Parts: sequence; structure tokens; C-alpha cells
Amino acid sequence: MLALREMRRRKVQFALVTGVVALVSFLIIMVTGLGLGLYERAGTALLSLNGDHLAYADNANISLIRSRLTDAQVRDIEANAGAEEATPIGYVAATVEYAPDENETAAVVGVIPDSFAVPSVVEGRPLASPTDILVDRSWSRLAGTEVGDVLPLPVGFDSREFTVVGIVDEGYFFFQPAVYVPLEAWQGIAYQGDPDQRPAASVVLLSGGDIVGDRGDGWEVVSKQAAFDNIEGVQAQQSTVNALRYMGLLIGAMVIGVFFYVITLQKVSLLGILKAIGASGLYLVGQGLLQVFVVSVIGTALAAGLALLLEATVLSSDTIPIAFTTGAIVTTAVSVLVAGLVGAALSVRQVAAIDPIVAMQQQ
Amino acid sequence: MTADAILELRGVSKSFGEGERRVDAVKDVTLDIDRGELVSLVGPSGSGKSTLLAMVGGLLQPSAGAIVVDGEDITRHGTGARTRYRRDRVGFVFQGSNMVPFLTARENLLIVGEFGGADRAALRRRADELLEELGLGRVRDQLASQLSGGERQRVAIARALMRDPVLILVDEPTASLNTELGTRVVDALKQEIHGRSKACIMVTHDERMARRADRLIAFRDGKLLSADADRDAAL
Repeated sequence: MLALREMRRRKVQFALVTGVVALVSFLIIMVTGLGLGLYERAGTALLSLNGDHLAYADNANISLIRSRLTDAQVRDIEANAGAEEATPIGYVAATVEYAPDENETAAVVGVIPDSFAVPSVVEGRPLASPTDILVDRSWSRLAGTEVGDVLPLPVGFDSREFTVVGIVDEGYFFFQPAVYVPLEAWQGIAYQGDPDQRPAASVVLLSGGDIVGDRGDGWEVVSKQAAFDNIEGVQAQQSTVNALRYMGLLIGAMVIGVFFYVITLQKVSLLGILKAIGASGLYLVGQGLLQVFVVSVIGTALAAGLALLLEATVLSSDTIPIAFTTGAIVTTAVSVLVAGLVGAALSVRQVAAIDPIVAMQQQ
Repeated sequence: MTADAILELRGVSKSFGEGERRVDAVKDVTLDIDRGELVSLVGPSGSGKSTLLAMVGGLLQPSAGAIVVDGEDITRHGTGARTRYRRDRVGFVFQGSNMVPFLTARENLLIVGEFGGADRAALRRRADELLEELGLGRVRDQLASQLSGGERQRVAIARALMRDPVLILVDEPTASLNTELGTRVVDALKQEIHGRSKACIMVTHDERMARRADRLIAFRDGKLLSADADRDAAL
């Protein structure tokens, strides 16, 4: 195959462009991984809640932070929202001093023990007593917490100790590792003062029923995805990441396009001779596209390998929110390939238009 | 027309441009070339000989006239048929370096098999045969860019013969060679043309090379001056 022989014999030239494609692909994979990591940290715990919808206070503008529901509203939602199941949930961010002078912020989620909002426990046992706490794996990795440890959670200016009874695998809430406590305990952590005057929950998790958009006295129902999309900063963050990805793909398309355009210009007389001795335009275009394909595939494979290596080493800690999935890497590889082929379209036209007579006169 | 003619040109003309800018590059050329005949085409630069060669090679369409190659009127061909004609019926030997530089001598021959319509195994055998015949067996695995000028031109002749064409078109085959090498290349070409009963047109500026052909045709201002065996008159 002419295209592959040229690549073998002009190793330096093609290795250089493959290297550039690999770097551009690596950049796109990293940006994609960053987007995915940020997306996960924004609220995988919310997305993995075992329900379909959330009922917010209608003056909260679909913000979990601002939403506060009274007992009466929770009962109203449970009775009138039209869902098959409903259970209140509370959310508050709290600083947890997990070791002397060592603290981290956790997303404290209040749930009713035995309700469908309680996540599956992957180690230990579910919530039972008012001082039990479930911690996510991400918290466990961050703080080194294990089942049986005691964590102090702030209640006003004081703190209350909770015993870690289980580990869950739900991820993050608002970029903070999620921990789960009984709803009553959450009420104490989130709101001090007269227990009769404090909110009963932040939102109500609903399961079943076609009830998106339903409203009641001071509450409204949105889908779980809409709730996620309305997490503060998520939309802007994902738009920024996507803009960076598209920019990377554009640069990739331009790099591949310009490279093949330049080498096509360098080979005009050679291509003309090949046409003169019987090569069809289709054959020559096919050979050019085969080179683009090989360069893109090798470039993205190198980039994926490098990204996975980095993830396993430098990025193995939780400090940088970056995540790779096979799907994301394959999507990026296919995107770079398509971008490369689009970029090479310029050269394809050039090759198809080569007149053997003109080309031969350039010898 | 002779009974053994492979190439027949009938009133072939080619002009470029329109109105006052019109240039008549080739004017009403009628010519036959027989099987096993090497014809040299001589004339000053701009006389139209390369244009004639390009038309016979299916690279240019004539403005008027017919070009019949082995009974096939190529002026009626569309783009695809012209590509197939160049691939299967004609062999080209171009001026100067016309090899694919990153391929070996043998690969430069085998490249014509990639264009389709050929038995690859048969082509491999033919390539080895031609390389041996033209004294290139020793350099068959050398890159074209590492070959000498004479070796490159002999590889070009071998490549032109690869698909067993009926007609070989040669443009200034000795332009970049010294006399000794040039003579060897033309003799090798002549031997192949005679031995394989092909017809060949060789465009050249080199009088000594032109005289080695079976017939010499002079061209001036797009017209055929002589089409006979009187070489001295033609030159």
C-alpha cells in the first residue's frame, strides 16, 4: 500500500505530525476528563438518588442550598404530588474535623432511615440510630475514615459525634464528598434554635408518576436531571469545558489539515505522474485519507495511553477532579479522527484537482 | 495507414485559448506508427511535440481529429476510460526523475498493480523479469532516490512495460544523462520495443539519440515536417 510505505519510509515527517496529533488529542482527553470529573463532583450523589423527581420550595429557584420546606409542605407534597413514593431530604455543607487540626467540608445529607433515599451500603450496615453516619468512599479516601470511626459534626458552636456505620458509593454533592445522617440529626446540624420553627427538609425526593412541573402550595416538582443542571455553576462549567474541547478539535482538524495540505503541495508533481500512469483520483484520495486515518488513530491511542498512565500515577489522588471513562476516550478518539478527516478535505480537493500535465511540467 | 499500425492519428489538432489569444499547438497531424517501431519526434521547444505526446497518452483531449490506439478511438473516452487507458494500454517514460522516491526500484514497478485491474502475482513475476532484463537486478531493493540517473531511467522503462501496453510514450529520456548513459538507455528501450513488438514515440532534443530510432519525425510550429525514414532531411 503506497500510503503506508510512504509513512514507513518518511518516519520523521509522519512521527512529528503523529506527535502533534497525540498532544492535541491528549489535551482534548484531559479537558474531557476534567469536564467529566467536575460533572461527577457537582452531584453524582444527587443523580444516583433512588428517585425520579425532586420537589423544591418554589421560591428557591431550583437551588438545593436555598430550598427549605416546612413539615406541612412535606406532608402536602407526599399526599398531593402524585408520586408513587416520597421522602424528605436535607442538605447542608459542614466542616468535619476528622483528625486533630485536619478538616474537610462534607455534604451532609439528611435522610429518613429505611426510606428509599438511603443509598446502598457497600461496607458496614445502614443507618439505624440518630448518631449513625454513612460516608461515601470519596470521603473515606480523603480522610482515611473507616467503619467504626467517630466523626464530629458541627451543631451550632458545638459539635456532635457520629459513628461511621457504613460506606456508600454515591460520590459527591456540590463538589463535596457526601455523608448521610438521619434527617432529624440533619435538622439539628442545619438549623439551630427552636425545633418547632426550623425547616423539615430541603427537598422531597419523589419516585414514579409523570409529575414534572407540578406545583402546590409553595413547592414545585422538577426532574432529577433538571435539579442537577441547576446546581450552581454546573452549566457554566460544562459550557466552558465543552468550548475548550471544541477548540481542541478545531486545532486538531487544522493541524492535520495543514500538514496534509503542505505535503500534498510538495507532492503535486509526483501525484501528477501517478495519475498519468493510471492512478485514479479516487485511489490517490483514498491513500491520503488512509494516512490521515493512521496518523489520527496512532495519535489518539498514544494520547489515551498517556492519559490513563497519568490517571494511574500523578492524578490518582482526589485533588484534581479528573475522570476518564472508556466512552469518553473512544468519543474523543472518534472526534479527533473525524476532525482530521474534515481537515484533510482541503487536501482531498487539491489531489482530485491535480492535472497530470501541469504536475508533470513542474518536474 | 499500414496493416500493422498500432497508433493512427487522423487530422489531429489542438488549440488553446480563444479569439486573438488562440494558440494552435498542433495542426492537422496525420500519422501511423507500426508495431515494433520506435519513432523519434524532434523539434524545437514549443513546436507542439509534447502536446502531441500528451494527446496520444490520453492526458489531453484534441480539439479535432481522431487518435486510434490498437483499434480504440481514445478521443471518445470519458475521464474513467482515459484513466484505464493510461493504466492498461500506454506506458509512460518521463523526463528526469519520475520515480516515487520513497519506493525501491521493484516497488516502483509494482505500484502500477495498486491501481487495479491486474493480477498482483503475475505483476511480481513480471517486475523481477523486467528488472533482470534491464540489468537492474542488483539494485531492485534500493530506494529510487539512491539510484543513478541511468538506473532510474531504465526503471522507468521497466515500469512503462509492466502492464504490457501496446504503446510506449517517452519524453526526453536522456535529458539528464551523459551521452554514454543516454545511448545505453535508448538502446535498452529500442531492444524492448523490438523484442516485445510495442510501438513507441520518443520525444527528444538530442539529435544523436533521435538518430537511434527506427524513424525520425520532425515537428515545427505544430506541424509535421517529415514522416519518413530520411533522417538527415528531418534533422
